[in-house]
Amino acid sequence: MSVSGLKNRSGMARLLPYAFILPPMIYLMVFMFWPLSRQMYMSLTNTRIVNPNRGRFIGLGNYERLIEDPAFYLSLKATLTYTVLTVVIGVALGVVAALAIDRPFKGRAVVRAILLFGWAVPGVAASLIWLWMYNERSGVFNRITELLGIGRFSWLTSTDYALGSVLAVTVWQVAPFVMLVVLAALQSVPQEVREAARIDGADGISTFRAVTLPHIRPSIQLAALLVAVWSIRRFDIIYLLTGGGPLGSTSTLVVKLRQTAFEGHELGMASAYGAVGLALALMVAAIHYTVEQRRMKRMSR
Amino acid sequence: MPALTFNKVSKTFGDHSVINAFNADIHDGEFLVLLGPSGCGKSTLLRMIAGLSDITSGDLLFDGSVANDWEPKKRGVAFVFQTYALYPHMTVRENIAFPLVMDAFRKWYHLPIVNIVARHRLMKRADIAERTLSIARQLELEPLLDRRPASLSGGQRQRVALARALVRNPDLYLLDEPLSNLDAKLRTQMRSEISALHHKVGKTFVYVTHDQVEAMTMATRIIVMNKGIVQQVDTPDEIYDHPANTFVARFVGSPPMNLIPASVNNDALQLSGKLAVDHAAPFPSRRHMTFGVRPEKLSLHPAGEGRLPAQVAVVERLGAETVIGCRLMTGEEHNDQRLLEHDLVFVRVSGNPKVKIGELCSLDYQANDVLWFDIDNGDRIFLDQE
Repeated sequence: MSVSGLKNRSGMARLLPYAFILPPMIYLMVFMFWPLSRQMYMSLTNTRIVNPNRGRFIGLGNYERLIEDPAFYLSLKATLTYTVLTVVIGVALGVVAALAIDRPFKGRAVVRAILLFGWAVPGVAASLIWLWMYNERSGVFNRITELLGIGRFSWLTSTDYALGSVLAVTVWQVAPFVMLVVLAALQSVPQEVREAARIDGADGISTFRAVTLPHIRPSIQLAALLVAVWSIRRFDIIYLLTGGGPLGSTSTLVVKLRQTAFEGHELGMASAYGAVGLALALMVAAIHYTVEQRRMKRMSR
Repeated sequence: MPALTFNKVSKTFGDHSVINAFNADIHDGEFLVLLGPSGCGKSTLLRMIAGLSDITSGDLLFDGSVANDWEPKKRGVAFVFQTYALYPHMTVRENIAFPLVMDAFRKWYHLPIVNIVARHRLMKRADIAERTLSIARQLELEPLLDRRPASLSGGQRQRVALARALVRNPDLYLLDEPLSNLDAKLRTQMRSEISALHHKVGKTFVYVTHDQVEAMTMATRIIVMNKGIVQQVDTPDEIYDHPANTFVARFVGSPPMNLIPASVNNDALQLSGKLAVDHAAPFPSRRHMTFGVRPEKLSLHPAGEGRLPAQVAVVERLGAETVIGCRLMTGEEHNDQRLLEHDLVFVRVSGNPKVKIGELCSLDYQANDVLWFDIDNGDRIFLDQE
């Protein structure tokens, strides 16, 4: 082989990695970063849906309107409440389920399949089924409460229950995912360290605290991050069940965004809602990242 | 202080029997080594003593009382795992103090928040803090107390595991191949450290290993096991000098004992087929048997001077001594087309005799250094019983 041929090959080899990452980069550019930057710009204009390309630049006008609008705070509150409760309840239930299913028992495979059901069903289908169950006249929940003698409830149309009803469906969907992630972590807990704790005189709870929990904590944290981000941007369940009502009590930022864009026809304003939602999601990710970095640093000391 | 007694202890996993009717006594204060190849059931035995594995049948007695169902905590044992099994998120200090903290733990400390406060205060309690520090000093871990296991070397982790075992001052130490993850040099060092430790604390040690050097150097008594069955129980010297069967003879010693098939033809001894030897001493009156002699009991001579003519096949120079692998000249060498060397007879000589591979030489032995074994079951044959 000639020297120039060798040089040529090494030149090709140098370019090869770029060739491999080019397709995903193009994909991300076209379908993510370009729309995102467009949305960011749009949030600074008064674009309306009737003529999306004729928006006028109005600076921070949309954001000014946003912070003066009580509906925005209502929406922010709904988002935060919904997110926090989903994470807390969903992760707690998921972890408990994972711990319960980690030890072998009869019919474990069946139980696991049943527990995973909520996660496997598409969001829209699940929401429609739950919509039937929540139905005030003929839903199974009101049948049960009537049988119990405590009357009917307006599950989705009362400001007291709507958010709770939406939460129940969300948790039903989210907990199995958490369970799967935590179960995977549980199965890699080193058996010898557990045994060492037993020899050292730790009882079940202490062994859990000293060995199991530290081992699965990164997985729980990751699951919590994902659940939080998903909750901030969840649309299907909420929109199908309540459409953001009653009186905006379940109108999270994403639902509000849709309403502003396609019912209020204000694309600029909707973009501003989107920007707030994005900022919220990034904040959660930043917290996760900081905590993770700290733990890594502590562990390597 | 517990003296342990195994009374026909067996362990089966499903249909697979790991330990079959194991009988043994472990005396107070001794350093007992369970020696055997991988999968011979020695680790399972250790885990039964610790209470980590159930006993399928038979009794395990601690000082005469049946302890089959005792919780590990009740047995008062310390266990050093092969992988050290340190708590990765705890500092060295917390790792060492963990058994003490657990001893002082009350049920209601499990409550949230109370737990954090209680642990924090227990760690700071004078007796626990002092005990932790003194053990850390003894094992030279003091500068590492605030580090985590991930940042320690293998030898340091090993010492932390030992410190955690020692801190409670238990009566019985169980060590499961604790040195097998260390490099050769560190292993030698830790070997003497553990021996010294046993002398200092004077407690019972049960040590599992597949390394006969560890067994020989550390043990006061060795149990040699194979396939869940005890082969021999004795002191290292006895096991080395008087192995009960060919398994023990081959497993203990490096290089292993030379075992050469022997036969008797017209009252003359023949080794390795056709090599007639003037044994000049009594030998068992059997047709076939195994002739065993330790490598250091053989002597190397120029060709023609010793009773066993041989050819040098392997030379391993170890500095102070040299191990030479020889092929016995039985008169059939020319048919031997094999590439690998089997059935070599090893001689251990001090210094470096400067022999070359392929060189002709001869070997000789003293008749009273020879051990005889049954050719079928491998058991030792005693001359006076014949």
